[in-house]
Amino acid sequence: MTDALRERVRSAVAAVDDPEYPGISITDLGLVEALDVTPDGDVVVGLIPTFSGCPALSMIADDVRSAVADLDGVTTVDVRWLGAPVWTIDRVTDVARATMAREFTVAVRIGREPVSCPRCGSSTMEDSMFGPSRCRAVHVCPSCAEVVEVMRA
Amino acid sequence: MGRSWESMYDFEAFLDDGGIVEVDDDMPDAYRRAVFAFIEMHANSEIMGGLTEREWIPKTPGLRHKMSVLAKTQDEIGHGHLLYMVAADMAVKTRREMLEDLFAGRSKFHNVFHYRAKTWGDQVAISFLVDSAALASQQAVLKNCSYGPYRRILRRIVAEEGFHMRMGEERMMLIAEGTEVQRVMFQQSIDDWWWPSLQLFGPDSKPGDQLLRWHIKSERNEVLRARWVQKYAPLLTSYGFTIPDPGMVHDADAGTWTSGPIDWEPLKRTLAMGGPDSARRIAEAAASWVDTRWVRQALDEAPVGAAA
Repeated sequence: MTDALRERVRSAVAAVDDPEYPGISITDLGLVEALDVTPDGDVVVGLIPTFSGCPALSMIADDVRSAVADLDGVTTVDVRWLGAPVWTIDRVTDVARATMAREFTVAVRIGREPVSCPRCGSSTMEDSMFGPSRCRAVHVCPSCAEVVEVMRA
Repeated sequence: MGRSWESMYDFEAFLDDGGIVEVDDDMPDAYRRAVFAFIEMHANSEIMGGLTEREWIPKTPGLRHKMSVLAKTQDEIGHGHLLYMVAADMAVKTRREMLEDLFAGRSKFHNVFHYRAKTWGDQVAISFLVDSAALASQQAVLKNCSYGPYRRILRRIVAEEGFHMRMGEERMMLIAEGTEVQRVMFQQSIDDWWWPSLQLFGPDSKPGDQLLRWHIKSERNEVLRARWVQKYAPLLTSYGFTIPDPGMVHDADAGTWTSGPIDWEPLKRTLAMGGPDSARRIAEAAASWVDTRWVRQALDEAPVGAAA
């Protein structure tokens, strides 16, 4: 019984998108760390932020709360931002990486591995280590001239 | 070299078929210049908007709003950066030339950034009214944009501006449900910002508008403007605020809200750098460029690979 409820809660949380990337779920970005569901329907969702100063935290928590609150069998919802573990870029799943490349021409960079241009596959060059958010740098593709944002730790 | 077209007629037929132009295509010069000018103005507006937002970082009430103002500042400047890269690739002006023109007051940016945000209420009005108007016009460009590099950047910008819009709604509801002092402050801000926000859409599109013909814009200015009024007039009214438009017609049966006559003089004045805050804004922007010279220098002189 709890397993079935837990599964419904899990998929409801998985349907919550990042407010800055419509179509990319917070689960695929690696933000969902813990999910506790009691037989009485008390739900605790533990999230971890990409960056602690991220301005979207309260919005994401609100979205998770409203996604879960109305499910059948759910009595209470507690959404918490956890202090640990810290988020790392390798938590981003292949699904999210593919969607970011395809829909947003954003590449995900793990460590210092070379970045491939989402359009033509060539290695990109850094234009600036600073981009439109704390988690992104700006690269350019020397081959097709595409401006590529790079999500990095 | 990419594709080329025999004539403007062929090029326009290509665009009408939903063709997407890429940077290495041999596009007609008139198209290149029109698209470049449009992207340059968008980039300039992001920078001027980001700098406005920045002025509020130390003055913003509350830590949560402060975080969103900080992030928004970085977002806007970052958008300007991406757009300047895309514009520079069109080989009309370099990135540096565009910045120098902006700081010398030689190029255009949106009318709304020629006014001063005097109170936090003004900042709320900007993030609610100005941002929603800007988002609506960007969405209309994204819908059918024929220039590929701009279209792909816009896809991300529109997603992020949608996030700003949610912050704006949150700020608006907080002040609307606040104390009487806050409500009076916000009414004043609506009175000051309603018309500039509405004029961000520009005057009625002319017949034969090139940006429409070449699939940069997908909808006429007056259509976008009317749709925005139709959404925001009832929203503000429902919170008990008034719209500073004595000629506005509200047809309760049809549920329509229509603007009264629009005085376009303020728009013409601001775009000619004669807005109420144009001179100070440009001077501040130019000063920020000078003040950050040491950062550019440090990055330029960093050992190769150090910033990888």
